Amino acid sequence: MDFAQNFPAVSILLCLFAGIISSGLKKKAARFVSMTLIIVVSFLSLWTLFYTIRTGQAFVYVMGKFPAPWGNEIRAGVLEAFMALFFCIIMLLSLEGGRKKLADEVEEGKTFLYYVLSDLLLSSLLALVYTNDLFTAYVFVEINTIAACGLIMIRQNGRTIKASARYMIMSLLGSGLFLMGLCMLYDLTGHLLMSNIKEQAALIYSSGEYRIPLLIVIALMSVGLAIKSALFPFHAWLPDAYGYSTVSSAAILSSLVSKGYIFLLIKIIYRVIGFDIFNSSKIINILFVFGLMGMIFGSLSAIRENDVRRMISFSSVAQIGYIYMGIGMGTQAGIAASMFHILSHAATKSLLFIAAIGLTDVSGGSRKFIELTGAAYRNKWAGAAFTVGSLSMVGVPMFSGFISKLLFAQAAVQNNVKMLPALIVLGISTILNAIYFMKTVIRIYTPPDNGKYESITFKDMRSYTIILIFFILLNVILGVSSQPVVDLIGQGLAMFS
Amino acid sequence: MYFVFSIFFPILAGIYLLVRKEVKDRRNLLITVAGALAVTAVLVVLTFFQSGPGMFTLFNLTDRLPLLFKADEVSVIFSIMAVLVFLCAGVFSFEYMKHEKTDGTMSKESHMKEKRYYGFYLVVLGVVIALCFAGNLITFYLFFEILTLSSMPLVLHNGSREAVMAGLKYLFYSLSGAYMSLFGLYFIERYGNTLTFSEGGVISAQAASSHGGILLLTAMLMLVGFGVKAGMFPMHAWLTTAHPVAPAPASAILSAVIVKAGVLAIVRVVYYIFGVSFLKETWVQTVWMVLSLLTIFMGSMLAYREPVLKKRLAYSTVSQLSYILFGLSVMNAGAVTGSLLHVLCHGFIKAALFLCAGAVIYMTGKTKVEELRGIGKEMPLLMWCYTIASLGLIGIPPTGGFISKWYLAEGALSSSMAGFNWIGPVILLVSALLTAGYLLPVTIYGFFPGADFDYENLRKKEPSRLMTIPVLVLTAISVLIGLFPEGVIDYLSRIVVKIM
Amino acid sequence: MILLVILIPIVSGALISLVPFKKRGHMELFLEMMVIINSFLVWYLLLHRPADNFTLVNFTGNLSVSFKVDGMSMVFAGLVSTLWPLATLYAFEYMTKEEHEKIFFTFYTMTYGVTLGISLASNLLTMYFFYELLTLITVPLVMHTLTREAILASRKYLYYSLGGAAFAFIGLIFIITYGNTTDFVLGGVLDLEKIGGRTNVLLLIYVIAFMGFGVKAAVCPFNSWLPDAGVAPTPVTALLHAVAVVKSGAFAAIRLTYYSFGTEFLRGTWAQDLLMIIVMFTIVYGCSRAVKETHIKRRLAYSTISNLSYILFGVTIMTPLGMMGALTHLVFHAVMKISSFFCAGAIMHQTGKHYVHELDGMGYKMPCVFGVFTVSSLALMGVPGLAGFVSKWYLASAAVESGNGIAYAGIGCLLISALLTAIYMFTIVIRAFFPVKGYDASVLEGIKDPNWKMLVPLLIFTGNIIMFGFWSAPVVKFLSDVAAGVY
Repeated sequence: MDFAQNFPAVSILLCLFAGIISSGLKKKAARFVSMTLIIVVSFLSLWTLFYTIRTGQAFVYVMGKFPAPWGNEIRAGVLEAFMALFFCIIMLLSLEGGRKKLADEVEEGKTFLYYVLSDLLLSSLLALVYTNDLFTAYVFVEINTIAACGLIMIRQNGRTIKASARYMIMSLLGSGLFLMGLCMLYDLTGHLLMSNIKEQAALIYSSGEYRIPLLIVIALMSVGLAIKSALFPFHAWLPDAYGYSTVSSAAILSSLVSKGYIFLLIKIIYRVIGFDIFNSSKIINILFVFGLMGMIFGSLSAIRENDVRRMISFSSVAQIGYIYMGIGMGTQAGIAASMFHILSHAATKSLLFIAAIGLTDVSGGSRKFIELTGAAYRNKWAGAAFTVGSLSMVGVPMFSGFISKLLFAQAAVQNNVKMLPALIVLGISTILNAIYFMKTVIRIYTPPDNGKYESITFKDMRSYTIILIFFILLNVILGVSSQPVVDLIGQGLAMFS
Repeated sequence: MYFVFSIFFPILAGIYLLVRKEVKDRRNLLITVAGALAVTAVLVVLTFFQSGPGMFTLFNLTDRLPLLFKADEVSVIFSIMAVLVFLCAGVFSFEYMKHEKTDGTMSKESHMKEKRYYGFYLVVLGVVIALCFAGNLITFYLFFEILTLSSMPLVLHNGSREAVMAGLKYLFYSLSGAYMSLFGLYFIERYGNTLTFSEGGVISAQAASSHGGILLLTAMLMLVGFGVKAGMFPMHAWLTTAHPVAPAPASAILSAVIVKAGVLAIVRVVYYIFGVSFLKETWVQTVWMVLSLLTIFMGSMLAYREPVLKKRLAYSTVSQLSYILFGLSVMNAGAVTGSLLHVLCHGFIKAALFLCAGAVIYMTGKTKVEELRGIGKEMPLLMWCYTIASLGLIGIPPTGGFISKWYLAEGALSSSMAGFNWIGPVILLVSALLTAGYLLPVTIYGFFPGADFDYENLRKKEPSRLMTIPVLVLTAISVLIGLFPEGVIDYLSRIVVKIM
Repeated sequence: MILLVILIPIVSGALISLVPFKKRGHMELFLEMMVIINSFLVWYLLLHRPADNFTLVNFTGNLSVSFKVDGMSMVFAGLVSTLWPLATLYAFEYMTKEEHEKIFFTFYTMTYGVTLGISLASNLLTMYFFYELLTLITVPLVMHTLTREAILASRKYLYYSLGGAAFAFIGLIFIITYGNTTDFVLGGVLDLEKIGGRTNVLLLIYVIAFMGFGVKAAVCPFNSWLPDAGVAPTPVTALLHAVAVVKSGAFAAIRLTYYSFGTEFLRGTWAQDLLMIIVMFTIVYGCSRAVKETHIKRRLAYSTISNLSYILFGVTIMTPLGMMGALTHLVFHAVMKISSFFCAGAIMHQTGKHYVHELDGMGYKMPCVFGVFTVSSLALMGVPGLAGFVSKWYLASAAVESGNGIAYAGIGCLLISALLTAIYMFTIVIRAFFPVKGYDASVLEGIKDPNWKMLVPLLIFTGNIIMFGFWSAPVVKFLSDVAAGVY
């Protein structure tokens, strides 16, 4: 066994330890630990990524040397490693981008808790990404939920508590469903390790028995994860949770947490149920339709919204719709497009959240559109970043959003039935995106009538600005040279089976 | 090649007047205009004596569309008529335009306005001559459009709201007509392969059989389109609005010459593009005959009930022009000869009538027929001219009108279209009676104002010689045509032989 | 080299806002020099065409941003590069009365580069890319005055354009999927074997994409952004909303029809008929709205809508002759409309009047401007001897040639529209030169023709209108070669 094969497990454990250690540390130290942790994990993931690319296949790491079916396994392929790396990067940028705000919004004494929670969150995300054991996945889903609730609630005001309660209930409902599906699956197959279940499931399916229970399993798991990732119409918890929590939380939640669940779903599709079985069930069509509806209704809600943060949150509903539409197409290309969109949306949405906070800060803290008038002149970099994010969301070439749109459309063309609805909704949703994002961009570039608010220069917020620049670069890189990423995704998906 | 000069000389002279900054002396202006008119007249008359058809390609618009000028008999007839009327009306305006000044003073502003009038007057003359000599449809179309645009300022000259509206109406009617015919142009270019006028038409038998339907449709559109200028029903409404509001000499040339551009267009389209053989006894001919007969009758009727003299004359123009169109639509030798002759007669007569009306307005300010009682006692010379000209228009023997109507009726009687060979002559006759009915009251009341007329206040109001001589000349020409028709008839029948 | 001509304007535009110019004159000089140099480079490029593609970046797989100079590019790039220096000159004078000049010139100049990008794009993706960029970069120009009206207009413009592009994008996807390549090849790139039985779907997609690009070309029912966008300063309305932006839409439609889907595939289908009817409707609709409109610039904008559909009508005839007609009108309309817009701008600049009914008697005060306006009106009406006639002639000939019944009706629409054109243009001319008696002459005191910076472009355009009217042979020859695929 190569040395590098230890890295995934090590990084999960590191995160857990860091979380535990941080709970006893002061604010600064906790932050230092957290940042170091993320950087270290990033390096480990990068190393793993190179390793898997070099070997050209996924590897399985058996925890504590107990063999299957009792032991716990970790499996790392190109895609897993890449996701881990990407999550780390976004996490780092989001935390750092919202740090200043964090200090304002969270009580001094509780700041260290924030880092504890984010460490735990990272560990659960990594676990979701790497694990080969369905039950482990469930465990970390729960850890994830709790950590996420904490992240929402840590900004203590009425709204966030309400939002986190709502999030908690919906999430637990989701994980409950997931758990039920898990139980039934265990009942059917007698396994918890993904690869074993898949073998059994294929056998059961080909024998023709237990068709309905299998269908129910697929339904329960899909719906459970869909609730957790806020697929329309299960998105009721989302706008408040993203809209009122502190900005780093919003960025992390929208770009990482919900994406983690989607990644898990994709893994289940490929590694647990089997791509063909999943496709032959009708659930996929439901996901497709919900995806399309999400694209439209999410955007419509966003258009109606008068609060910039909530608008961005609703936009997430639409973007999640895109991802589910890709999954619902039932083709390899569709899933690949969804994977790419997970990345591009993560990069874009966190950028938008972080940039929005910069804009609202120079507008007296108000998030109402009318107050944002001319904000881009007061904080130039935030304005530019918001513009880039918006353009990317609208799908203007040179930015990452365009590539996802391109991939989605190309995937859609391969499916005769779903082609037209997908393409037309894609078109309409582009227009809707354009309406609310461009409205905002024009608003922030409209000079205000009076010099009510002070403006901010580069020097005042050096680190914040640097983070924004990083985000912009990330977006542009994904937009301009997407081919390596697309190749990686293709390679990774191939390793899944 | 004189005719090319006769086209561009007046146009350039007119443009010179238009762009000239200011006029110091009215005399100089008038001398310039008179000189330009005279030179043009000489140039046009010279073409008459030129031997052989001249051809002149001015320019190629595109590789297939040359601007081509060609002199043939039709050109000569029309251009001589045009230039004579222009000359007379021009001389008339020297006196008349004093009256059009806004406040009667000879201010700089009013000089400018008069200068504008003469400028456009000369341009119109050049354009009309260009139309006469146009050698193909595209050249014709080009100058047809320019004619509309350049004659519009004559209509709205006095600048009253009514005049401007009339000018716009004139513009839009004419343009819509032009565009209808442009529709045909595209198809002829394609299926006739050329737009050059040639006797007997350019539509080949093959094209006629393969695309007959669409070609007939375009022929109809072109007839209606060019018919707008000639005041043919259903697009006649502009004429009776626009002609009366213009200054009298301008009305004279509008009614006598510019409407003839429409007639010329129809002659060219029917006899030189589509050809008699293609159109004869088709639905197009039927519709055309119906439209023109309708217009004759309707025009006369409306003229009969119109109280304002100039408007009455305008309605008369509508009716008389459709005599010409009807003759053309019959498509036999007699009727066509009659039509062409009527072009000349109507041109001179109607110019004379309008100038008379103008002189009356100039001297007395009266516009309605009923106000003109005793006018014959006041200005006997003018009223005699009016009477003789009226007789010509009615078609009483010693005048040219009689000859042309004779030929028209004769042609109509021998028409091959069943039904029309009797309806046509009947309508012509009825309309002639109506013509008498609407023109002669002026004479009757003018000379016999009745017992209760107040002879005390009667004064001689004969206008100056600048006004009477043009009227006299025009009347004389119309009588001369009636007295010595042989030469003209010979000339016309040469044309008719070629095109039938 | 190709990249250079696209980048020079973009960079020099950026420089304007970055470099603190001491005097306004310096900035003008710099800008005009850059624009002229660039135009020369463009012409050099067009005359010495590089044979192969120049690829800038690869997006994914076979999708790349690359450039090439072919016949169509020569037409559009040549047109744009000729008009731009003149329009810039005009803008210098016009903008003296507006604020935020620097920002204006920044984007104005950048647009030059982006428009060249559209014209020089060698494949659909690149064109699409610059097409989107064009939308974004011209929004600040529409927004320029920052009044509420301007902001609403720019928002509308943005939504319409981006929305249109979203649907054009679907066409792009289909070309990627069913075509052999996304490069522009005259005659189309569709692979008939791949299509199989899906002809109707493809036709539907063609219609959608055509309408998508048609948004920029203001096809009805997607036309309402154009009159609204007239709130922008006149150089923008003239150059962008009569030439660069809207012609990009028409240009893209030509590319889509003739170079991507291919006329072989489309001719005689329901898609052709449908589009032709839409376009014909737009022709008449635009004109009739123009007649109703009393704001000069909005009136001209509606006129543009109608005239753009002339071009698209040529496109939908789907024969080489039709394409040639479309290209001819594309070039000639640019010259005609820019000159009439510049006249409108000159009027606004000199007098501050915006409405038709305020123009009584102005013709004598500003003879040059109204003289030019009259010439351009005549040309737009299609009076022979001016540029407009030539292009209409070819459009109509193409329609006759095609033998398509709907196209025949289309000729009728062209003529109706010509009549309406006469109405809406000539009411202005007549007001100016033949005011109704008793108009208030006192308000015209002190009004005079603008200075040389405005007049020179106007006179050059007028000269061109007349020259093309009488001597169009070389241009037309070139355009018909383009349509025949010689270049």
